[in-house]
Amino acid sequence: MLQLAAPLLTALLLGSLYTLMALGLTMTYAVTSIPNFAHAEFVTIGAYIMAVAVNFGKLGLVGGLASAFLFAALVALATDELVFKKLAALGATPLHLLTASIGVGLVLRYTLSIVADLKGLLSVKTRVVVNPVATIGQAYLTTLHLWAVPTTLAVVAVLHLVFMKTKIGKAMRAMASNLDLARVSGINTTLVRRVTWVIAGGLAGVAGGFWSVYSPINPETGWVALLWIFAASILGGFRSFYGTVLGGYVVGFSESLGITFLSRYLGVNVAYKPMIALLIIVVVFLWKPTGLAEVTPRGLLESLKKAVGR
Amino acid sequence: MGVDILPLVTSIVTFYGIYLILALSFNIEYGFAGQPNFGKVFFYSIGAYVAGNFTANMLMRASGVTGVDFCSDLAAEVRFKVAMSKPWLIIALFLLSLLIAAAVGGVFGYLTSYPALRLSGDFLAIVLLAFGEIGRVFARNYTPLVCGVYGLSGVPNPLVWIGDPRMARLAYSAIVLAIAFGMYLLTERLVNSPYGRLLKSIRDDELVSSVMGKVTPRVKGSALIIGSSMAAVAGVLYAFYVQTVVADDFIPIVTFVVVTMVMLGGVANNKGTLLGAMVMTLMDRLTRASFLRILGISVGFDISYVRYIVTGLLIILILMVKPEGLISEKPLKTPAIEEAEKLS
Repeated sequence: MLQLAAPLLTALLLGSLYTLMALGLTMTYAVTSIPNFAHAEFVTIGAYIMAVAVNFGKLGLVGGLASAFLFAALVALATDELVFKKLAALGATPLHLLTASIGVGLVLRYTLSIVADLKGLLSVKTRVVVNPVATIGQAYLTTLHLWAVPTTLAVVAVLHLVFMKTKIGKAMRAMASNLDLARVSGINTTLVRRVTWVIAGGLAGVAGGFWSVYSPINPETGWVALLWIFAASILGGFRSFYGTVLGGYVVGFSESLGITFLSRYLGVNVAYKPMIALLIIVVVFLWKPTGLAEVTPRGLLESLKKAVGR
Repeated sequence: MGVDILPLVTSIVTFYGIYLILALSFNIEYGFAGQPNFGKVFFYSIGAYVAGNFTANMLMRASGVTGVDFCSDLAAEVRFKVAMSKPWLIIALFLLSLLIAAAVGGVFGYLTSYPALRLSGDFLAIVLLAFGEIGRVFARNYTPLVCGVYGLSGVPNPLVWIGDPRMARLAYSAIVLAIAFGMYLLTERLVNSPYGRLLKSIRDDELVSSVMGKVTPRVKGSALIIGSSMAAVAGVLYAFYVQTVVADDFIPIVTFVVVTMVMLGGVANNKGTLLGAMVMTLMDRLTRASFLRILGISVGFDISYVRYIVTGLLIILILMVKPEGLISEKPLKTPAIEEAEKLS
């Protein structure tokens, strides 16, 4: 069992980071109906801002994360104001919005690539001292875990309160469930839209910041992670807040533990790892588009009864 | 100073042919039938894998050399020698590859109709993108197919026996262009036929078509079969041109470039596709380090970045300014309409 400590701890970290990333993707999809492929770039931008702020700007961990949040949020807001909002006003279909988000992603990713290439930053890691605080078997619980996991849980708790208790949170839920109805009810949809993009981009930026502490980053970091972000969000039902939190951790655990199991007991090559996320996306979309969002203990019991009864 | 532009011309012509076929196939699926096949690169790669694996295996068998690793440089050399000495064999293998790839591509296209009948629009696009990546991850890890990460080299140009490699490439590019143009004529014929009208009717209102008694799932499936078959043919042409098959060539961005061609040129308009494919091919070929060297330009970063940025900007601009594309959809050409036009 102790052998599993290392993949378990990795899973915990990855699950937290994927949750942070996927929350924004779900929020922008629910509120603005954009399956946003450029979300990956918010992660990468946050990661780079963090690395530059800490390594060259001599900011601390908190300062670095704050600037990652700020920059990624600004970029996210700008993409919506300059592209998505205008397209939505023109009546673009979800497919056109998806295609546009791919275009936005290409522009952001490779502009960043040019800058990183010219500055010699094609691979960097944030220089923050990460100390082990406890040993479990051969695995270390580090200060990074102690930062990233509670941060994610705190974000989830705060967002829960925002959605339940505040006016803006309720307005977001209203827009997610029926845009026209929200508008005729007097909700300032422009403002809510902006707040959504700021939170979505900012959280992706913070997750990217943590990622740059966890492993070296490059301009493709977010794009590679995007597969897992989409898997998390889609597994959560693509529109559901709690579903996404669950999806993020399930995806994190299946990436880390899943491939450990498969390679150790079935001899599957570790390089097949992306298949896990790809299969999650395909299977959920084809057979259970509501994902985990509508899976309740009672519903599971009912289907079990049906299966037994048959 | 004598600048040799022949390789550049050859590569532009060849890639124009290949991209044109891909763009036409995407136009049939998306423009006419309304099925956004964002897994285009997967079907393209199938053609390349079939061509590479089949041709390489057959050439090894014909060489009579045994005990040589299929993926080794030595094997690649053996294959070139066989192709040099037996013109009829390599031509036959090329033609057979085209046929087999078209068939295999069609089968996978048929399988694609499973998600296409359950999903539509953005969700279908995401699932098919995932299909493409599943194919790539599989191919780069399953070495017997095309030698995994390193790829399969030594797929000879079918005209290698001409001797002069420059002439062989030039002649090959003419063949590719001819096949592409044939595909264009066929596509034009197809979409202006009753079948083309049926595709458009399903795209615009599937319910109405099914009320008229059309079996719409079967028609959608057939459009995907045709499109995937064409993409696989493009993959064969690509494999024989670059002479290596590497799984990591078939990344999602290839699909995005093809999507841009169709959206830029004009959705559901094949003349637009001709134009869009030309614009994107020129952009693709002229933003290469090898071309900039001819002009004597060097930049301090990888020039591919510029290509991707321009592609992204084109996607955004076309969707914001002219979502129907540069040449918009025109009314169908039927014999009756042509007669009416003559009279008026």
